[in-house]
Amino acid sequence: MVELRQQEQQLLSTLDKLGGSASIEKLVASCGFPDAAVMRSALTLQEKNLLAIQAATRNIIKLTAEGKTYAQSSLPERKLIQAVAELGGKADLRAAAEKANIEQQFIQIAQGWIIRKKWAFYDSKTNTLTINDALLHQMHVPQGCDETLLKYLSEKEQVAQDDLSAKLKDAAEQLKKRKLVTIEPKTTRVLKISEEGKKAASEATISVPEVTKLTPELIITGKWRETKFQKYNIQAQVAKTWPGKKHPYLSFLDDVRAKLVQLGFQEMVGPQVETSFFNFDALNEPQDHPAREPTDVFYIKEPKYGSLETHAKAVEQVKQTHENGWTTGSTGWGTKYSLEVAQRLILRSQGTCLSARTMESGKYSVPSRHFAIARVYRPEITDRTHLSEFNQVEGIILDEKLTLRDLLGVLGKFAMEIAGAQKVRFKPDYFPFTEPSVELSAYKEGYGWIEFGGSGIFRPEVTMPLGVKAPVIAWGLGVDRLFMMKSGLSDIRQIFCQDLDWLRKKQVT
Amino acid sequence: MPTIDIDYNELQRLLKVDLNGDMEKLDDILSYVKAEVKGFDEKENAVTVEFKDTNRPDLWSIEGLSRALRGYLGQEKGIKTYLLGKSDVEVKVDAKIFGVRPFICCSLVKGIHLSDEVIKGIMHLQDKLDQTNGRSRQKTSIGIYNLDLIKPPIIYTAVVPSEVSFVPLGFSERMSLDEVLEKHPKGQEYGHIVKKHQLYPMLFDSEGNVLSFPPIINSNDLGKITEESVNLLVEVTGTYYQTVLNTLNLVTLALIDRGGKAYSTTVNYPAGKDYLQSSVVTPDFSSRVFKLAVAETNLLLGLDLSAAEIADLLGIAGLGVESVSGDYLTVLVPCYRVDVMHQVDIIEDVAVAYGYNNIVPLWRELPTTGKAKPDTAFINTARDLMVGLGYQEVLNTTLTNPDTLFTKMNSAAEKFVELANPKVITMNCLRNQLLPGLMEFLTVNPSVEFPQKIFELGNVTLPDALAETRTKDESWLAAVSTHPNADFSEIKSVLDSFMANFGFEWQIRAVLHPSFMDGRVGEVIVAGNCIGLVGEVNPAVLQAWKLENPAAAFELHFQSLIDLKLGRM
Repeated sequence: MVELRQQEQQLLSTLDKLGGSASIEKLVASCGFPDAAVMRSALTLQEKNLLAIQAATRNIIKLTAEGKTYAQSSLPERKLIQAVAELGGKADLRAAAEKANIEQQFIQIAQGWIIRKKWAFYDSKTNTLTINDALLHQMHVPQGCDETLLKYLSEKEQVAQDDLSAKLKDAAEQLKKRKLVTIEPKTTRVLKISEEGKKAASEATISVPEVTKLTPELIITGKWRETKFQKYNIQAQVAKTWPGKKHPYLSFLDDVRAKLVQLGFQEMVGPQVETSFFNFDALNEPQDHPAREPTDVFYIKEPKYGSLETHAKAVEQVKQTHENGWTTGSTGWGTKYSLEVAQRLILRSQGTCLSARTMESGKYSVPSRHFAIARVYRPEITDRTHLSEFNQVEGIILDEKLTLRDLLGVLGKFAMEIAGAQKVRFKPDYFPFTEPSVELSAYKEGYGWIEFGGSGIFRPEVTMPLGVKAPVIAWGLGVDRLFMMKSGLSDIRQIFCQDLDWLRKKQVT
Repeated sequence: MPTIDIDYNELQRLLKVDLNGDMEKLDDILSYVKAEVKGFDEKENAVTVEFKDTNRPDLWSIEGLSRALRGYLGQEKGIKTYLLGKSDVEVKVDAKIFGVRPFICCSLVKGIHLSDEVIKGIMHLQDKLDQTNGRSRQKTSIGIYNLDLIKPPIIYTAVVPSEVSFVPLGFSERMSLDEVLEKHPKGQEYGHIVKKHQLYPMLFDSEGNVLSFPPIINSNDLGKITEESVNLLVEVTGTYYQTVLNTLNLVTLALIDRGGKAYSTTVNYPAGKDYLQSSVVTPDFSSRVFKLAVAETNLLLGLDLSAAEIADLLGIAGLGVESVSGDYLTVLVPCYRVDVMHQVDIIEDVAVAYGYNNIVPLWRELPTTGKAKPDTAFINTARDLMVGLGYQEVLNTTLTNPDTLFTKMNSAAEKFVELANPKVITMNCLRNQLLPGLMEFLTVNPSVEFPQKIFELGNVTLPDALAETRTKDESWLAAVSTHPNADFSEIKSVLDSFMANFGFEWQIRAVLHPSFMDGRVGEVIVAGNCIGLVGEVNPAVLQAWKLENPAAAFELHFQSLIDLKLGRM
């Protein structure tokens, strides 16, 4: 004997009573269960081979906008025949139309349908309509199938074509031609009872009372022992849960920071609004350099100038280095140095200004290693590869014995530790503040070669005026590019993207 | 970074290489001079080359580029010598020009065959030099003339703008200098350079014919070169003598490379205290002499090279060696290598010639201790906690605009840092709070499933008259929750949990704030100080951001908590 839950049993017997086949909608209406409950029970019954769920495509009839209007008022032929009836059963077409308040362009249509529906005769000589005798005796013109359907649809909104009687089906086709309804196929699920199902429905199968929810009361009283718990359809879709997560790019920077700390680097800090002195002058960029034009760096509106009072010694030495090389052994730029230009406030355009500040502060030991993760700004037009605001990871290494070999060694280490690269390649590079300068490319399985960093040994024009005697390696890493590759992004704007859905769905690494 | 377009076939011919269209191969070759292929137009046979080094104008012509590369390709060694003949052409400098645009250098180039291609190449180089080295003609500008139309000596002087008129290049009617600045496109572009002066620079020949109005425009009569021009006068004027001379050298050498013969001119400066020199012969192709120590070279590179090996590598890099004595080399730097400022520039050339990839990298363990900045640990714990409370971390730009910060937040503009030259109007200041960025974030996610709970912990920048940079950066924290049932008690509960986990005692004090609903907002008080706000967002703000769900938010001056935690207060 098959054991069924109450809902399942009820569904099965309802289906049986409905002739063994019915749509979900019909069953929802007949059983009074919600849609999901019918579906859940149906799935269980199908597993037990008591019924089959079949997808059936049915033609669904719905009113068009025009159809809705007529369903609410009435068809034009109805209005016209009523007017004729009120005018005594015989009337001039124009007079009847006027009484019925039918617009000119619809008169002929209304007249045509009246004739077709055999409600009246039309005499073209006299232009009169005469109501059919048979109808006249009935005292009113009965409702046609088309009108019945319109009325039904205005209440129920839609109906399946095969649920209609043959006459109504014809009416639907007619209304479709008049563009008052649409008939479109729609897939619906139909349940069909099986032979076993019929048997199960008639054999008064035992319905076991079931409990859905385990409650504290059931636990405390021990009633759970006698309770039959409903088994869930564990395959069913459930609502989504979105956890709080860290931002993927910031998490990536956290990892980079942790790696650098592990490699013996100390984090440097410095202001986002910076003097031109630390951003440019101290880094051997001449004061008339094109990179300092307003097209390449953001200037602060007000106040325009910062203070360099506490850096007077460095400023004087940098000034002399620019003008004549000072004691650095350089020719210098040969141009006049302006303190006003040095004090001009800007948004820092490169993280190297933090290295300049660290060197100038004298607060370091030799050897030491430093790094910074700095937000920097440039007046770029934002596109797939450019942002006007982005992060740079860079820093310095101070040691008495540093050489170009160390520089290459440091870059190789970064490539392996931070990018997880297998191979590295070096090319000559240019920065105004380092000589020699090296570009690092790293090869990573699955990614190919990527330009991963730039680096060099600070020029004496940079270190000496800031009071540093040891050689200093300066390095910067292309972390944005690395992040994009790791995350499969091709557009750098994605870093600051405000797409919550992307953030929610982004896998953690 | 400067770029030039060069003829692909011509480059292959000059470098004696067959590239077969392999741009990676060309990239490898170009890397010796810190350049790379930016584009290749196969139809036009044009390669666009970009230079990272902005101080190597000697590379900005196909001849100059191949001159440098042939050394690395093993085809030439050392300095390329250029011949310079003498002429009796004289340039007279008038004392009046000193305060305006003091320096001029001239050369003659004779017997050149100017094809359309060559003229284009020269114009390209001239423009690059004017823009980059010449700082958009401010520092130097170049003029080239048909020498056969000019009657030397040449006069360089300054004139009253209204008193001189001439027909500028590309026009047919005479104009006064003021009219040139007003009507000629070059006048409109570069007029600002001369306008600050009472007198404007002028170049005449001995018969009073106008050569040009430097640095604006040449005369249409004398200052036009065509395919028929055979003998040329080149002139560079400017404000820095060395740059003026370097520029003249570069242009003259490029013309020699294209088949011309160069001749010098004598520039005579007026007597008086202004000018240091009285008479100079230009151009000047002599090399500069640098002393290079073998020990310092090896010390910087970490190599063990002998003087002879270094000399050999210098040759590859296109530098000359005059002599080797003991531990020193006397290095000759050709006049076109204007980038060399210091011994280290020469040492880098040695390393490039040696080959970076032939140097064995070295990683030495140094006794250094790594350390994140003191704030980092606390900031990260706070982020962890917000994540644990179910909030998604977001990252917004610090560049924003007052409409976002204040107008849409229904609040009055507070002190904030504005940019003088914003690129776009939506990014014209730095944020001084975080919540507006979060509201903006919510606005672009109207159809993403609710509840939406987001937070940001990031920098804000505030004016600070006492600080060296007149600003201070602080870490702030803001969080917002929005869904149909979001309310004050929800966000207060989150804030309470946040504070409790850090062990901060906090109180709430009623306040009025236009961004929040009256009676549903409070100041967050820690250790007697207000360090933030918590409340239900004002529906006026929600509407301004086109948000349909209630939102509850808090914003903390997290820096105060950091300082409290680290004992800085």
